[in-house]
Amino acid sequence: MEIARGVEILEGLPVLYIRDLSAIVCTDLHLGYEGVSADRGVFLPKANLRHIKEELKDAISRTGAERIIVDGDIKNEFSHVHVEEFNETREFVDFLRYSLGLKAITLIKGNHDNFIDRLKEPFGMELYTQEALIGGYLFFHGEEAPHEKGGKLLIMGHVHPSIAIYNRLGAKEKLKCFLHGRMKDKREILVLPAMNFFAAGFSVNAERGIGRLAPVFRDMLDVDSMEALCIGEGETLNFGRIKGLRDISL
Amino acid sequence: MIQHPEKPFSIEESLDSLNLFIRRWFEKRYKEPTPPQRYSFKLISEKRNVLITAPTGSGKTFSAFMSILSDLMNLSLANKLEDKVYCIYVSPLRALNNDIYRNLTGPLAELYSDIVLPIKRISVGIRTGDTPQSERQRMLKKPPNILVTTPESLAILINSERFVEHLKGVRYFVVDELHELANNKRGVHLSLSVERLAGIIGHDFTRIGMGATLAPLDEAARFLVGYSGEEERDCSVVDATWDKKLDFVAMSPVRDIVNASDAVIDNSIYRTIDAVIRKNRTTLVFTNTRSGTERVVYNLIKRFKYGEEHIAAHHGSLSRETRLGVEELLKKGKLKAAVSSTSLELGIDIGTIDNVVQIGSPKSVARAVQRIGRSGHSFSDTAKGEVIVTNRDDLVECSVMLDAAMKRHMDTFVTPKNALDVLSQHIVGMSQTKKWTIDEAYALVRNAYPYHTLTKADFLSVVEYLAGKYVGLESRRVYAKIWYDEREGAFGRKGKLTKLIYFMNIGTIPDEVAVDVLTHDNKWIGSIEEEFLSRLKPGDVFVLGGKQYSFDYSRIMKAYVTPAPGQVPTIPPWYSEQLPLTYELAIEIGRFRERMADAIGSVKGKGVKALGLLDRSMLAPSGEALKILDAMPIDANAKAAIFNYFVQQLLYVGQVPNDRMLLIERTVDKEGGRTLVIFHSLYGRRINDALSRVFAVKLGEAAETDVAVNITDNGFVLITDSSVKVNRKDVEALIGAAGGDDVRVILTENIRKTEMMKRRFRYNAARSFMILRNYKGVRISVRRQQINSQLILKAAEEISRDFPIIKETYREILDDVMDLPRAAQILKRLVSGEIRHSIIETDVPSPFAHMMITFGEADVIMMKDRRRHVRELHKQVIARIRKG
Repeated sequence: MEIARGVEILEGLPVLYIRDLSAIVCTDLHLGYEGVSADRGVFLPKANLRHIKEELKDAISRTGAERIIVDGDIKNEFSHVHVEEFNETREFVDFLRYSLGLKAITLIKGNHDNFIDRLKEPFGMELYTQEALIGGYLFFHGEEAPHEKGGKLLIMGHVHPSIAIYNRLGAKEKLKCFLHGRMKDKREILVLPAMNFFAAGFSVNAERGIGRLAPVFRDMLDVDSMEALCIGEGETLNFGRIKGLRDISL
Repeated sequence: MIQHPEKPFSIEESLDSLNLFIRRWFEKRYKEPTPPQRYSFKLISEKRNVLITAPTGSGKTFSAFMSILSDLMNLSLANKLEDKVYCIYVSPLRALNNDIYRNLTGPLAELYSDIVLPIKRISVGIRTGDTPQSERQRMLKKPPNILVTTPESLAILINSERFVEHLKGVRYFVVDELHELANNKRGVHLSLSVERLAGIIGHDFTRIGMGATLAPLDEAARFLVGYSGEEERDCSVVDATWDKKLDFVAMSPVRDIVNASDAVIDNSIYRTIDAVIRKNRTTLVFTNTRSGTERVVYNLIKRFKYGEEHIAAHHGSLSRETRLGVEELLKKGKLKAAVSSTSLELGIDIGTIDNVVQIGSPKSVARAVQRIGRSGHSFSDTAKGEVIVTNRDDLVECSVMLDAAMKRHMDTFVTPKNALDVLSQHIVGMSQTKKWTIDEAYALVRNAYPYHTLTKADFLSVVEYLAGKYVGLESRRVYAKIWYDEREGAFGRKGKLTKLIYFMNIGTIPDEVAVDVLTHDNKWIGSIEEEFLSRLKPGDVFVLGGKQYSFDYSRIMKAYVTPAPGQVPTIPPWYSEQLPLTYELAIEIGRFRERMADAIGSVKGKGVKALGLLDRSMLAPSGEALKILDAMPIDANAKAAIFNYFVQQLLYVGQVPNDRMLLIERTVDKEGGRTLVIFHSLYGRRINDALSRVFAVKLGEAAETDVAVNITDNGFVLITDSSVKVNRKDVEALIGAAGGDDVRVILTENIRKTEMMKRRFRYNAARSFMILRNYKGVRISVRRQQINSQLILKAAEEISRDFPIIKETYREILDDVMDLPRAAQILKRLVSGEIRHSIIETDVPSPFAHMMITFGEADVIMMKDRRRHVRELHKQVIARIRKG
């Protein structure tokens, strides 16, 4: 699904492709998630990294991109680097570089990426804090509002957007989605869904308090005006504006 | 081999088997042995395994303990009584443990007051979760001769290296309230602890089981004694269950329960209870819920000016002190009435109860007998009780149930078999005590009756799971809970933390999450289960405490609602934990329906118009039907209500469904805009649970849609969007399709995305130590435990469909929650025509369908093809948005 000239959401994937940067963009991987949670007594089977690898392999084979930009929260812990995070980040970077043959790995630091600096050198990552203007695109993670005034397209992560649909029969379906719309200053913005396997997401149409989660939604951007582009099975479907999805039940 | 001794021993033989001091004390205190004691004294003194079933007040405790005390007294007289445990007593209830402790220490004190010889006294000690640390330390230094404990504490004790030394001389193992254990995972857990104990101490012991009412007795006996290798251990069954006389009556509070207002019904219920209380010295009232208990106490005090010192509530949400206080008052005969949900059902000593009032159906003959059997304390007294019911299905059900109870027909239980989650806990426990070879551990586990048919492959899959084989090598350091060497075929201890994991997370009762329900001015209304909350969407109307509320939003464990009086509930209440009606009883009800319908027969054909008339004036029961009703243990209101219920159904559709005639009714729910296909399948919920999902799958496949199901004991409803048209031919085709496949296969493939699967998977993951409740000294919140069970499930499935926790979840659903063999049998009989079926169409659902629509356990069978499912969702959303 092409959302702007040369900017394409890859069907069925939580991944964006920007042609003139030859880059795929994704966010909120939270690598090491299972290991961290096992340390807290919840011994999840490993699924996250394997799924991320499969999806990125698919994305690269479809686009031939040479670069990846991670829009924040590559790892899971706030306070330190957990051994499982280190192992998985290394495995991930090796996979990108040697299996997928990517030439550049760029990370916009998110709130979970403290202490990632020490991984920068050994892993050869390009690192930005909070936001970066790259080729006219403004990447920012999202727990702070963007400071830069320019940018032809703003790209954000952090909120793990999804929508929840209830039907009359009592079933609830949660779908991860991209949010696409315009800031009050008319700049175009795209919020990416989380890549993390275990993140079902924040139901933008049902839960309140997105402004507390990400300040950009306080006075710079009206979430109701944004369109939900939901990830289905092998395809991405436009479910229309959030406003229309509030209180919807089928 | 299970034996049934036919004749009791003579009184003399029985007493002769006792030690002289014990005998003298017994004869001074009691006239003669009760019927169960005339079996048990002799049998236990011969060190035989015995299962005793007998009602309250039959001297059950002493049936088991007299011979044990006698043995210990002999030791003591021979100066051979050591500071070690000779007898372990386990009951599922701490309160009961306290009782037993008193019932042993009291008589022992009396006994010793008569003995002047300087002998060592028999000691008794309690060890439960409540036992203070200091007391535990004392016990470690000087263990009691008789140890009173719970299944959970026992599992901890057998893993305590120091305490196990004191257990090496155990001669007797007593399990009380066996009927509360043999049918669930808590009992399965206990059965493994017992075999482990036998393994650890290196010799067997005499096993004694006590229970109130349970059938089949042989299954209970096997559960008690287990196997020694391939050999079933011997057990003598002493059945004195029915020696108590019963006087039960089912009653309707008003003549016309359909049209009477709630206020009138309530008035009458409370007046009835009040009358019973005034007529008797002490009355016990049972409700089916804790909130119901509170409501009854509140109303009795408010309406009839009872003092708070005369009536008290007793249920699990109250503090221990409050409960003990109430028990004490009851024992002293100071209370006029106590109101309880389930907590007073077991054998806690509460003194003499003259009468029991049960509100709502107890759902099984066994439970009815158990509850009402609490009255008339002495063995020779008659148990007296009233069952007050407020809807017509329950009225029919209770009438048949009480009739069955009086005729001594009992419904049956099953023991869960080969539960892999409980096995996980014990393998972790076993690994802590020594190094095991796989063969040796497997053989030990198979001695427990619930695991005798466990396959080696399943056993190994649990060992591999616990060894962390489901994650990569580099992560096993964190994941593995046991050490396992595949080549050597041996497993054992791993890491320091595992010991604590075992101690802190043991047990089989899942954490229930209660969410508070509040109005916007923060008035507390009640609580709902979190799973129920997850199904609510803003605007949904549901019933709580008998009133309707509309759901607005939720915030961290609180749900905010607006009162919505008079509105139709959009979501049926969540009945997940309510006891299902048993198959046997359902069939009995079917027979009753058939007889009643045949007897009424002649009123057929007066048409729907007469129904309007009947709405206001009820017919008096007459003719053959009256004869049938007169033979039932029910009051006049109940007779009228049941009679008119049948007449209305016959007038409206001309047919009363029964177990050999399945009525299928197509109708529409005008308000909700839904199509309903109602199956009047009267087979009990365990079977309907399976049948409903099979039919839902087939309907979903045929109509390419999601299908919601609503399941009750008396039938089930398939619900689809009104755009889905289901005609007679479709229903016929459905029956053919449902009968065509292997039920187990269809269900396994289709329950994956249901609410039930998600919930049960989470419980099983917790019981298998995959999701811990306590870790590294920190209690993990249920919220954290819950991190999206659906995604955990998906991740686990990617490992393998045979991953033990997934396999166990399917097993639990298909074998414990549902009754698959019988469901398959019914389908077969339905397809062959042995069970007839009749398809009708109604504008308004027929009388027998009403409860099925408004109550029941709800779930949704979703389309299996996810791509189509999302597309369909998309199409509908867009259409809805366009419509505005």
